[in-house]
Amino acid sequence: MKKTGFLYDKRYLQHLTGAYHPETSERLTAILKGIQEADFYSSIINIEAKPADIETIETVHTKEYIKRFKQACLNHESIFECPDNQICSDSYDIALLAVGGVLTAADMIMEGRLNNAFCAIRPPGHHAEIDRGMGFCYFNNVAIAAKHLQRKWNIKKVGIIDIDVHHGNGTEHIFEKDPSVFYYSIHEHPSFAYPGTGRDFDIGNDAGAGFTKNSPVLPGRGIEEYKKLFMQDCIPEFEKFKPEVIITSTGFDAHEDDEMSRIQLSTKGFSWLAKQIVNLADTYCQSRLLSVLEGGYSIKRLPELARNHIKILLNS
Amino acid sequence: MFINKSMTVNVIKITEDKTLAQAKKKMTLHGEIRHLPVVDAANTLIGIITDRDIRSALPSDRNVCAPEIKAASEKLKVKDIMTKNVVVITSEGTIQDALLLTQKYKVGALPVVDGKKGLVGIISTRDLLRAFINVLGIKEPGTLLCLIVEDEFGIMKKITDAIYEEKISTGSILVARYWEKNKRAVFPYLLTQQVTNIKKRFQSLGFQLLDPMDWSLEPDTK
Repeated sequence: MKKTGFLYDKRYLQHLTGAYHPETSERLTAILKGIQEADFYSSIINIEAKPADIETIETVHTKEYIKRFKQACLNHESIFECPDNQICSDSYDIALLAVGGVLTAADMIMEGRLNNAFCAIRPPGHHAEIDRGMGFCYFNNVAIAAKHLQRKWNIKKVGIIDIDVHHGNGTEHIFEKDPSVFYYSIHEHPSFAYPGTGRDFDIGNDAGAGFTKNSPVLPGRGIEEYKKLFMQDCIPEFEKFKPEVIITSTGFDAHEDDEMSRIQLSTKGFSWLAKQIVNLADTYCQSRLLSVLEGGYSIKRLPELARNHIKILLNS
Repeated sequence: MFINKSMTVNVIKITEDKTLAQAKKKMTLHGEIRHLPVVDAANTLIGIITDRDIRSALPSDRNVCAPEIKAASEKLKVKDIMTKNVVVITSEGTIQDALLLTQKYKVGALPVVDGKKGLVGIISTRDLLRAFINVLGIKEPGTLLCLIVEDEFGIMKKITDAIYEEKISTGSILVARYWEKNKRAVFPYLLTQQVTNIKKRFQSLGFQLLDPMDWSLEPDTK
């Protein structure tokens, strides 16, 4: 059994998104419930969240953007820059706490106290651009974690695997010219799904050309297409790239019971994906795997999806 | 919108052993063809040749006489000048994929292939334009208006309600998002020539009607 960490903090529930918004605190409550009910619950190691410092956030986001977000919260605004981004006065602090928790998990992995970790955080991050919040995302948790691993732990090559059903435009753009971070995403085809990016011919730019890979999937195709594309597009690229750490943008919104997509993955399909990622981490990264929650909106399915995910991380 | 409804299925193609003269003849014979996919005996795509490739490969100096050009075009083979690394799209690609691909790689046509690179069609910029002409509804007679509106909730409802109340059919409505800060430009294409009342209605709703002479979309800087 691996040393698997679990990041959760009840303060993550304080990021309030108002009525009729899918990215709610109930998502985390459901995930926590699913994990607490698991027979392996006593085996997982809890990670305590602490706020990230601004300097770390600035490794990805502009000062002006960070200031705008902070000010919007101080002004008690309910929307930040686009209607999708519903905020409350605590959102800025909670977003810092989300990043900080992920960085603590990353440190614990690098210190050898953990093999891997699942970070049940909100707000999510992979749509957040350098200077723009979008798609319920403010700080790009995964991108900041990748930079942190490089700066603090001298990691040369970070592999990011994004299985959220929506393409991680923010993460891709942040690293599109960077050959030290390989970004792979499998998602619903951008002609049919938010945010409209992540086409198979987007492969990175300049020095980063060839270090981005996208597998867009047509609606309704389900696990068979996912299996085919993941084996064909991700595995060989990661074999070539040989990352030292893998970070995953773990979205559960490709599930057949999730109203945010039409991909139709089953719960078993998610387990298959998680196993492949754990195998990659075992093969190339001394099992170092940092799994960070992004989307996933089926309150009914989140408990089992998160439970199965951690079970696979534990290898139990 | 998938490309398979817009692509040309009966592809005029060529094999690599043919001469440039034969390729040129093939293009001329079939009208205004500018791209010839090159296939092997199994119909697998192995290259593409364009009318521009042919022109560039042949002597063009004014001093060179016609027989010399003819001789060169009969000597050079398709395989000598074809582009081997072809930008392709699969039949499950979308119109949006094709638009972005043609823009990214600056190509005029994309051969459409199946999973094993078997040629199943070709989609050219002309096909894409046709698809967009259909989407925009501009083959039907109508009037295009341009409204400058605030970028806020409910604006499109106000616009469509006004069109409905005037009992006008709509060909299409195009929205340009990044017109100027906090504004959008909305272009309703209305299937009527009686637009006096709807214009007044739009103005009474506080929308700015832009003079057609001032219309221009910002160029994409990317």
